[in-house]
Amino acid sequence: MTGLYKKATHALRYLLLRRLPTCRQTVSVISQSLERSLTLRERVMTKLHLWVCIWCVRYLEQLQLMRGALRARGSKLPDEDAAADASLSAEARERMKRALSQRSH
Amino acid sequence: MSTPLTTMSGEIKEAGVSDGVGQSQSHATDPSVWVDTHGDYLYRYSLMRVRDTAVAEDLVQETLLAALQSRHAYAGRSAERTWLTGILKHKLVDHFRKASRLTYSSQPEGEEFEHDELFRSEGQWKDHFDPTRAPVEWCAGPAELAEQGEFWEVFGKCLSPLPARVGSAFTLREMEGMSSEEVCEVLGITVNNLWVMLHRARMHLRRCLELNWFAAKGVRR
Repeated sequence: MTGLYKKATHALRYLLLRRLPTCRQTVSVISQSLERSLTLRERVMTKLHLWVCIWCVRYLEQLQLMRGALRARGSKLPDEDAAADASLSAEARERMKRALSQRSH
Repeated sequence: MSTPLTTMSGEIKEAGVSDGVGQSQSHATDPSVWVDTHGDYLYRYSLMRVRDTAVAEDLVQETLLAALQSRHAYAGRSAERTWLTGILKHKLVDHFRKASRLTYSSQPEGEEFEHDELFRSEGQWKDHFDPTRAPVEWCAGPAELAEQGEFWEVFGKCLSPLPARVGSAFTLREMEGMSSEEVCEVLGITVNNLWVMLHRARMHLRRCLELNWFAAKGVRR
């Protein structure tokens, strides 16, 4: 029974993927879905493709993860960001102080 | 967003009262201490967005000079650091605007970052993912990644080979959270070009991160 079920879903996946937009087309639409609302046709085609293609599902999840991580980092203030330990060089510091004192007189 | 600072000296200025040129309590603190008090903070903020130390330094200097000029208008309604960060944000947008105008092409660049090698080039599955290079599962959450310094180092390295305008478009859209329309206005590009550039940036970054970060962290195929 499970063997038959597997065969049937495999055949369905195969048939769908043969008729749906390719992965290359789908990842481009996935990227656009983060920018605008998709047309009905695009939504249906993408949903069906995602239903049978784990790679494109991962692609979508990865774009969302990148966005989430970047937003989280962007909204962080530098003094609470462990990743940012850079500091101004002594020369830059001196240069800025000189520029400030020249302009304030 | 604004947090009270212990060193805040700004007080609300009385409307209609001008206090001339002299250093006044109602204004920002003495500009000579800005570099030491806020310099590193502004520099890190800037460096997170432009990823070039020289450019980041210049932007801090421009910010402080602009602040010097407008310090009499600063009414102390927000913390001094918040006020300076606000000026820096404008300087950053100006920087992206100018840098984009140096690229004369009206066409989106960076076609080579679409990573054709991820897709099959022939056969009945042409243009579908090649199973040996298809996306793998990343086991990570956004908050956890945001905390990891090493991840951002790898991220910076992945971002750097992208054409400047493509990288800027991605940073403004994804890090600053600007809308598509705002990014187009700043970079002077059409929305269709923006979408193409973002697609290339994402295609490249996710592949680069997968190879250089997630592959090393153990992933499932």
